[in-house]
Amino acid sequence: MRHLKKLRLLSSSALLSASIVTMGFSSIAMAGKATVALPSGELGATSYDPIRSSKLNTATSLIYDRLVEQDADQSFHPHLATSWTESADGMSWTFKLRDGVKFHDGEVFNADTIVSWIPDFKDTENAFLVAAIKSVEVIDPLTVKFVMERPEPNLLYNLASTFMGVPGQKSYDSLGEEYGVTTAIGTGPFKLTSFEIGLETVVTRNDDYAWASDLSSNQGAAHLESVTFREIPDQSTAFLELKTGGIDLLLGVPTDFLSILKAEKNVGVITMAGTGISYMPINTTSAPFDDIKVRQATALAVNQKSILENVYKGVGSEANHFLIDTLPAGDVKKELLVSFDSAKANGLLDKAGWAMGDGGVRMKDGVPLQVKLFTQNDSDLKRLTQVVQAQLKDVGMDAVITVFDSSTIRDEYKKNAHQLAVRSYDWNNADILEWFFSGTRVGYPNVSMWTDEKSEMLKDTAMTKSTTSAERVANFKAYHEHILSSHLFVPLYQPAQNIAFNKDTVTVPEKVRGPRFRSQTFVDIDVVK
Amino acid sequence: MILKYSLQRLLMIIPVSLAISVVIFLIVHLLPGDPIDNLIRVGSSPEDRIALSAKYGLDRSLIAQYFLWIGQVMTGDFGQAIVLRRPVADLIAQNLPYSLQLGGLAFLFSSIVGIILGIVAWASRNTWGEQLVKGFILLGSTVPGFWLALLMILLFAVNLGWFPVSGARDWTALVLPVLTIGFGGIALVARVTRVALLEVGKQDFITLLHAKGLSRTAILFRHLIPHALLPVVTILALRIGWILGGAVTVEFVFGRSGLGSLLIRALGQRDYPVVQGSLLMLALAVMIGTLIGDIAQAAMDPRIREATK
Amino acid sequence: MTSAILNRLSGFAALRAFSSAIGMIAGGFLILLLLVAFFAPWITPFDVATQNLANANAAPGWPHIMGTDEFGRDVFSRVVYGARTSLSVSATAIGISVSVGMLLGAAAGYFGGMFERIVMTVVDLTWSFPDILIALIFVAIIGPGLTSTTFAIAIAYLAQFTRLTRAQIVRLKNETFVEATINLGATPAHVVLRHLLPNALAPVIVVGMLAVGDGIVLEATLGFFGLGAQPPTPSWGAMMSSGTAQLFIAPWVIIYPGVAVAITVIAVNLFGDELVRALDIRDRVRS
Repeated sequence: MRHLKKLRLLSSSALLSASIVTMGFSSIAMAGKATVALPSGELGATSYDPIRSSKLNTATSLIYDRLVEQDADQSFHPHLATSWTESADGMSWTFKLRDGVKFHDGEVFNADTIVSWIPDFKDTENAFLVAAIKSVEVIDPLTVKFVMERPEPNLLYNLASTFMGVPGQKSYDSLGEEYGVTTAIGTGPFKLTSFEIGLETVVTRNDDYAWASDLSSNQGAAHLESVTFREIPDQSTAFLELKTGGIDLLLGVPTDFLSILKAEKNVGVITMAGTGISYMPINTTSAPFDDIKVRQATALAVNQKSILENVYKGVGSEANHFLIDTLPAGDVKKELLVSFDSAKANGLLDKAGWAMGDGGVRMKDGVPLQVKLFTQNDSDLKRLTQVVQAQLKDVGMDAVITVFDSSTIRDEYKKNAHQLAVRSYDWNNADILEWFFSGTRVGYPNVSMWTDEKSEMLKDTAMTKSTTSAERVANFKAYHEHILSSHLFVPLYQPAQNIAFNKDTVTVPEKVRGPRFRSQTFVDIDVVK
Repeated sequence: MILKYSLQRLLMIIPVSLAISVVIFLIVHLLPGDPIDNLIRVGSSPEDRIALSAKYGLDRSLIAQYFLWIGQVMTGDFGQAIVLRRPVADLIAQNLPYSLQLGGLAFLFSSIVGIILGIVAWASRNTWGEQLVKGFILLGSTVPGFWLALLMILLFAVNLGWFPVSGARDWTALVLPVLTIGFGGIALVARVTRVALLEVGKQDFITLLHAKGLSRTAILFRHLIPHALLPVVTILALRIGWILGGAVTVEFVFGRSGLGSLLIRALGQRDYPVVQGSLLMLALAVMIGTLIGDIAQAAMDPRIREATK
Repeated sequence: MTSAILNRLSGFAALRAFSSAIGMIAGGFLILLLLVAFFAPWITPFDVATQNLANANAAPGWPHIMGTDEFGRDVFSRVVYGARTSLSVSATAIGISVSVGMLLGAAAGYFGGMFERIVMTVVDLTWSFPDILIALIFVAIIGPGLTSTTFAIAIAYLAQFTRLTRAQIVRLKNETFVEATINLGATPAHVVLRHLLPNALAPVIVVGMLAVGDGIVLEATLGFFGLGAQPPTPSWGAMMSSGTAQLFIAPWVIIYPGVAVAITVIAVNLFGDELVRALDIRDRVRS
């Protein structure tokens, strides 16, 4: 009898210890934590409420999913919406929704979610995202129809934006203004665990995640157990953190540090196409720039190739028009592209009556060609400005630099105090043309102070009278070409996005499937075992 | 006497605070630029901008806006941040502990080390060692904060790996920032201590004690230092503003939050309620610190007690 | 009469600061620095603004003895001209601070009462506020550049000079010769200008010197945030700031100006202390 008991005791304890050991092994394999430093443009977000916030960060894209996702080539892929159709007249869209999707608090995602979600935008700063939608109708639990106020070919782009990540409606409605501060409920691959403003955000894996988009190789729950997003404002400090292993991933590496990072054996660098350009708007209402010959000469005096080679060490690409190269509306007529032509620039200035004087500065009627060049207090922009100043000097234009902080400079623009300015934007949609050149926004953001009948007409057509996506591209291309031929600005440089990571601790997919490094890529990241 | 003096000063704080609030409000609203431009995003319309401006009450007259704000403040409500979108009180409450930690510890460090060095400098006066001590004292305050911070990080965090490079995770992340700020404050404390000791040392009662045969050490520790500490304490009490808001550079390099960083970020975005609220809070803290310092001084200094009788 | 004699004595006594070893070294360095800054156009081999992108971030050697920066500009020339910027900004700022501070302090000390209380409260507030915050607010109002830097530094040190002067005035106000002068019919302005201020002058000047040192550090910090001298004007602070990005490729861009700041400030402080000793005004100097 006793022997039997002993045997049973022995075997059960053996079984127990065996299971503990195996559990131990598997938990080591699953204990994947990564620390990520946010890029400098995403610091200081104070809430994870995508509907009410004006500033979001990468972590937001991990907490919430969107109906559609964009790939690096700007195409749209299904995510929470599995397919969609647009009516021929553009006045309605029908979306089929994914089945089996649940929010982090257990609420089910279906057509009712969408019906409750779209009106949430009313009276918020982001209301413009859904302004074209008149109403949402439920066709069946997994199909919704958007009845539109007007055709909106840009709808998919808005739906793919981080601001249109879908929050859990129960939680959103019950928490009101408090939503997004300590609680943020989405359907994303990670859940919000803790959030300290200005310091760090911790998200942990959503183990039930089974609905990744086709942009991720991993179609199940994320490999990483948790991700800590840190906010490090000083770039040298962020670089040192990566070097010492304090962080595993650095989003947004400044070009200065690229060469040193690439030289480190344990650091991997991914370079993606950029989502913006640096450019120099020309104030068309301020002499001598009211003369289009002078404007064109200014544009031709800038050497984009030299900027790319010497300031950015070949990283990124030249900018020769107003949009990023991956946008189809950027594919304009060859002769309209802006690039360096010193001889032509000098010739145009001569023709405009500005003769070269002693000391290398041109003169006209006894007045020297001295202009005001404004820029913001950002080390990259300041560097670019100094190089541009030197290039302008080469054609006899004496540009005097004044640096302002970003809020003050907008005031200066509105006061029409500027003549040239060096600035940049980050946006991957053609409607950026309307934002910066519309006659209704003269001063700021329309720093070129430009307005004319033809531009307004082309703008209106592009913004509100396009019914299909192809039409929209064509209309924006026409608008873009008119802007280029009016010489309202000088394109300077197209930055690339650089991401650095510690090869010894994390593995990152080689090709990033998206215009930015977001949740579809994070799902594929894993720790090195 | 002391009580009456303190009460007088306490009552003075109210009208002074109101005056300061007007100055703060004016400065903030006269800054070029406005918060709405920091809120609007690509895709919004010019009408949206006007609506936003009205929503935050920015289209009303300055006077109306001021009274609205100060009325709220007097009921304890610092309002809602425009760009940062959270109650101002929440933002301040979140950042305050970090500032107190960093500022308080650095303050302690510079006070203790400063006093000790000040005593050493005084004790070694007229000897060759004095220059050495003085040079040592000066080291921390001759280099700009960001330079020292970077040096500290490179040496102690990157090369030696003793401390984390940045962040505010745990106490180890506090060491380097505290040292960086602390080193900068040593010179002031040391100088004040040394001068105070020199002054006290010359006084008649010290000569008397010498004559009575008391040993130099005893005189130093039982009479000189306690008397010398008073001006040190009063000066330190006045530096409360530095504790709360002076660590901006260090917070930036080390990636920590704090009141200074909050203020500067809000200033850059013209987030009026946050800037007004933080400045007002800072001013109040400073006035209370000054009051405490002055009361301490009055309690000890017979000349001032005479003046208030 | 008494004040004139005091002034002349101060002049001689100040020279005694050079008699000690430290005084000679520190004082000598400062004079050298002033000469270098003054003769900058003659001793710099290169123009501070000419860019040579092909030769960017070159290591120290010949002809660039301190190397080149990110635009290929000669670091040595920029450090020399940077001395001009840093010194002149600091000196101007402290000059303004001293003048305004002494006036305020004298008035406060002389008239006393409510006026004194108000002035001292306001002035104390500026001292208790971190100078970096004052500077940043100033920059937000006026914009980045040397003017803002100058005014910011001036305000940051205003309190010290006001307090110093007022303390002197209060002390001297009660001495008999002042009463006598007033009884003889002198106006308050006359008393303040000819009797009280000259006595306060010596400690103020010494503290002023020390404040110039601090001013250089503050200018460097503002330069770090990009708010000091604007491109392409060289200033030690701005050079250190833009140099941080090149720290690992071209450390000389940040080392040389940093060393320049450190040595200058140390020299200013050590010489200032010698001056204190020489003028034997320890008891009147309270930072």
